[in-house]
Amino acid sequence: MTTVPRALLAIDAGAATTSVALLGKSTDRWRLLGSMAAPAGTPPDVLAAILADRLMGVDLALADHLGISSTSVEDLPRLEARSSPPATLAVLGASRRAVDLLAGVAARTPWHVRAASPETHDPREMTELALRPEVAAVLVGAGDPPGPDERGWLDDLAALVGAVARRRPELRVVLAGPVGDRPEWAEGFGEPIEGAAERVFHAPPIGVRSGPDEPLREVLESLIPNTSDTRHGAVRAVLSLADALDRRVEVLDIGLNGGLRAMASPGVADQGPSAIAVRTARAALVPAELDDAAVDAVLAWTTGSLDRHRMGDRLLDLRAQPWADAAGEGARLRLAAGRAALARLAARSADIGALASPDITVVAGGAFAAAPPRAVALAVADTIRRAGATQLANDHARLLGPLGTIDDPDERRGLVADLADDLLAPLGSLLVVASVPGSLRGSARAGRLTLDGDLHGRHDLAAGEISFIDLPPGDHALATLEFRDAARIGHRARRVAVPVSGGVAGIAVDLRDVPLRLPERRDRRRAALAAWGELAWPGDER
Amino acid sequence: MTTATTGIARALVAHRELVARAMDVFFPLRPGDRALVQAGEAVSRGQPIIERYRDVRTIVTDVAPNGEAPEPGQHHAEPAGRGARSDDPATGGELLFKSGGRWRLAGGARPEPIEAPFAGAVQAVQPGAGVTVRTQSSAIHGRAALAGPTWGRLHVATDADGELRAQHVDVGMAGSIIVAGARMDAEALTRARAVGIRGIIVAALGMKEQRDFLASERRGSAAVHGLPPFGILVLDGAARRPIASPLMAMFERLEGQMVAIVGTPPALVVDDPSIELPPPPADLLRVRSGPLAGAEGSWAGLAGPRRFPAGVTLEAAFVRFGGRPPVAIPIGDLERFA
Repeated sequence: MTTVPRALLAIDAGAATTSVALLGKSTDRWRLLGSMAAPAGTPPDVLAAILADRLMGVDLALADHLGISSTSVEDLPRLEARSSPPATLAVLGASRRAVDLLAGVAARTPWHVRAASPETHDPREMTELALRPEVAAVLVGAGDPPGPDERGWLDDLAALVGAVARRRPELRVVLAGPVGDRPEWAEGFGEPIEGAAERVFHAPPIGVRSGPDEPLREVLESLIPNTSDTRHGAVRAVLSLADALDRRVEVLDIGLNGGLRAMASPGVADQGPSAIAVRTARAALVPAELDDAAVDAVLAWTTGSLDRHRMGDRLLDLRAQPWADAAGEGARLRLAAGRAALARLAARSADIGALASPDITVVAGGAFAAAPPRAVALAVADTIRRAGATQLANDHARLLGPLGTIDDPDERRGLVADLADDLLAPLGSLLVVASVPGSLRGSARAGRLTLDGDLHGRHDLAAGEISFIDLPPGDHALATLEFRDAARIGHRARRVAVPVSGGVAGIAVDLRDVPLRLPERRDRRRAALAAWGELAWPGDER
Repeated sequence: MTTATTGIARALVAHRELVARAMDVFFPLRPGDRALVQAGEAVSRGQPIIERYRDVRTIVTDVAPNGEAPEPGQHHAEPAGRGARSDDPATGGELLFKSGGRWRLAGGARPEPIEAPFAGAVQAVQPGAGVTVRTQSSAIHGRAALAGPTWGRLHVATDADGELRAQHVDVGMAGSIIVAGARMDAEALTRARAVGIRGIIVAALGMKEQRDFLASERRGSAAVHGLPPFGILVLDGAARRPIASPLMAMFERLEGQMVAIVGTPPALVVDDPSIELPPPPADLLRVRSGPLAGAEGSWAGLAGPRRFPAGVTLEAAFVRFGGRPPVAIPIGDLERFA
């Protein structure tokens, strides 16, 4: 006889922090009873015991009913997702153009990409790269037929990769295009090619670059074990969430080692829900290899007086101890790094960005875990520039990853449907208005917003600015936006009515440029960021 | 909070292991390098374990089969050219791959030894990857190591919060590995290198100083005469903070002893296996970041979620500093030692 559990633990063992959520089924549905996070490496049982203790402190009867105590909590069934450091993929091509194309596709996967071509590295350096112990796979590709810039080096490249694969029997090799047809490949790899079927994979040539990159991405992602990966699980969970809520849901996740952007749509008729997703190591909160460009990308979002070196020091420390220094100036630095990471994620997921605005945007990951809600909303508004209206929510208990580890879609959908209200903490709504006429820039009355039933009346909207309007969590309203000239929010019109829902951040109405253009001059850019930041960090609580 | 969880709540604080009782140290092999030892072999401090070409480059050559077909990864010595003198260095290197009927070699003409910085036993030799040597001595973990490996006698030059300036680096420290306090600037590092100091241990080293040092190392390595071994062990990170008191107690215990700085993993290996390092106090907590960075105190209980500057709510703990009332500190800003 099996016993249906009445409580379980959802554990997200991230690279920076470990989060544990305690779930219970007190009546006919599952509820979130509590959650807690601590620095990575903290035993989940410790977190679970403290959660159980707090539950007993506030509702002993419920704890008794669910059979939860601080001593027995470690026996509860658990859903566990985990984030692993990205494995390294060496991307080799016979020309810089070829390797850039390959690396561009590989950057839309969870691999940490190291690229080299004969134009930037000599054969010894390319061999050294491919032989490094941390390199788990090599991607080598060429056009079919090879381009004029590839022909001179292709045989050498095939021989180089073949010889490396021969020396490292555990190394997996992805051949994109006709590299495997070169005699040098077979000679370098050795005859007979033992075990080639298990570790040599074939992918389309570079020549089909204008088409979708899914075939190559699928090959690359198939080399990574996904069974318990947090972001892989989050995609499955958001699929179930879209299906359960019958809403289009987008998830934006920034973690220490990578990011995720996924758009899920509910099923239509007899078709199940569908999703497109990009998981990329490029969207890590702080890149593993911190260079000047990465530091400058964060500096561009700051208003402080740190120079590049000091900012580099702060980012190095944030990378080494991501759970530390999360208050005060550290919180602002974290959000600046989060914006830079979101911008990298948006750049790698232009296909998702081109889709219509989702009904719900879920913000997830450690980068936003402790930030003030308005600061999170502002970070999303700053970087995900898509005209339209969306409801913002936060995966505050980090449940998406663990819920995605349930393999059975029906079982997962049932649990997600039960928990939907609890797992999404409403931040508010984000309205991004594009194509506001330039002549109205600086005008205090570019338009106005009226909320149904709002006792405070109308809210004036200024072109080129963002404003926050209070609307408490749980409240819904119809927001009517009226402009002096036609603007675009979904479609072009002078008057638009969109449903909005409240949250701790309220409604963010953004009339800034799409895409966002910040002033070139540093002082003006900082002044603009500071003005917007004052809205998100009220009271300037440093 | 119940008694059961009061005891375990301290486990929420990040745990930092300071000392390893034995350690496998990895010495990477780059193309062209040759391992001079075999698995199972005992090595002593100063014994060459790897041969590395200083001016390694790619060489295109014909390799005449000598009985068996050559394999990638094999070492190949070029025959001396016509007119070569007996004291000319032999050109050779590691076979990389064969293309167009000719081999590419990673090699050069001036191989130099990399010496074992401590006594130990070779655990593994992975051609093309590296050599792993195990030491049975204690090793103090660091966060990062630059350059190295190196070894010398340990000398504590400043206190935990001190900063060693260039004018305080004198030639009397030559040959030693010095504990340089909270932070060191690029000028002091350059001078330390110049006067013959073998290594630096420092709590924090900024990004600029790291880059300047590594660029200087690359230039020095490419020079005709090369440079003696030198390494930097960074204990904490990049932003200035004092060395933790348990680490300082260990360094004071090791004053005058032979130690080695190694890179993978970053650590300070103690040469004498009989030396017992003082254990950190069991109830010690250190504030790693935030306004009180560097302060040390003791656990006074879990404070629960608290609101901190910038409007963020974080799980916090009470920490007692000396005889003063406990202060709530974000748990993420704390570390404990073992």
